[in-house]
Amino acid sequence: MDWKKFFIAFVAAFGFIFLFGFLWYGKLMHGAHQEVPILWRTEADFGNHFSTLVFGHIVMAFFLTLLCARFVPGGGPGACATLAILVALIYAGADLITFAVQPLTTKILCGWIVGDLIQFAIAGAIIGAIYKPAPAHSTFVKERSP
Amino acid sequence: MKRFILAFIAAFIFIFFWGWLYNGVLLKGVFAEAESLFRPRDEMMGLFHWIVIGQAGLALSFVMIYASGFAGGGIAAGVRLGIMLEILAVSARCAIYATQPFPAKLLVLTSIGGFIEMIVTGVIVGATYKPAAAKVS
Repeated sequence: MDWKKFFIAFVAAFGFIFLFGFLWYGKLMHGAHQEVPILWRTEADFGNHFSTLVFGHIVMAFFLTLLCARFVPGGGPGACATLAILVALIYAGADLITFAVQPLTTKILCGWIVGDLIQFAIAGAIIGAIYKPAPAHSTFVKERSP
Repeated sequence: MKRFILAFIAAFIFIFFWGWLYNGVLLKGVFAEAESLFRPRDEMMGLFHWIVIGQAGLALSFVMIYASGFAGGGIAAGVRLGIMLEILAVSARCAIYATQPFPAKLLVLTSIGGFIEMIVTGVIVGATYKPAAAKVS
């Protein structure tokens, strides 16, 4: 494994996931979230738990990078984005279960699912574009002419 | 394809029963501590089909990921995939914990249950799904 490229891909994925999360879930969906205020922490309480949010994003970026690096041997944005979309579908399944047990609105459910798919597809593409394993060394043997 | 479907059905059945046993029975008291964050029981039952669809989607995605890059590694590869996917799920749970006033105990206990669920799902899928042997001419 090329650890230098891995680290760069991980940092880029973390930067994107964190920024996207802030814009999509924090800004664009803010109004939808406020329709069920009972579900959320207060601003001050959220501030106290902000480190957990950052930690979660770091772990998410690291393991998505690891998944792409280990199991998409050829690398490339398309293949890594495909794998990341499959991972996002697992999140979508969890979102549906959450919708059934918590008083989320349909708007929040749809926003979360679409957000997961976009976030993971782009993060996967970023990882695939950055993390490309070096081609394997080949030994050429010249054929003898008859 | 037959083994793919078998693996999906087996994984779904396990996820369904584990979800019921762990979250619905064993953790019932812990979930009751955060009652205000959940729908009333009757309302939840009215949306029960979303739980089933969500669990089926989860099982299907697991088998698809396994078939796309892990197949051939057997049970060990299934377990590895399960652990990695659960770590990703824990990271999402951390984000939810940061924004919703869940007790920390619930985060820890649901994550433990999640690891058991994903590892056993990995064992089931790894043991059931075998890629078709390549044709040799």
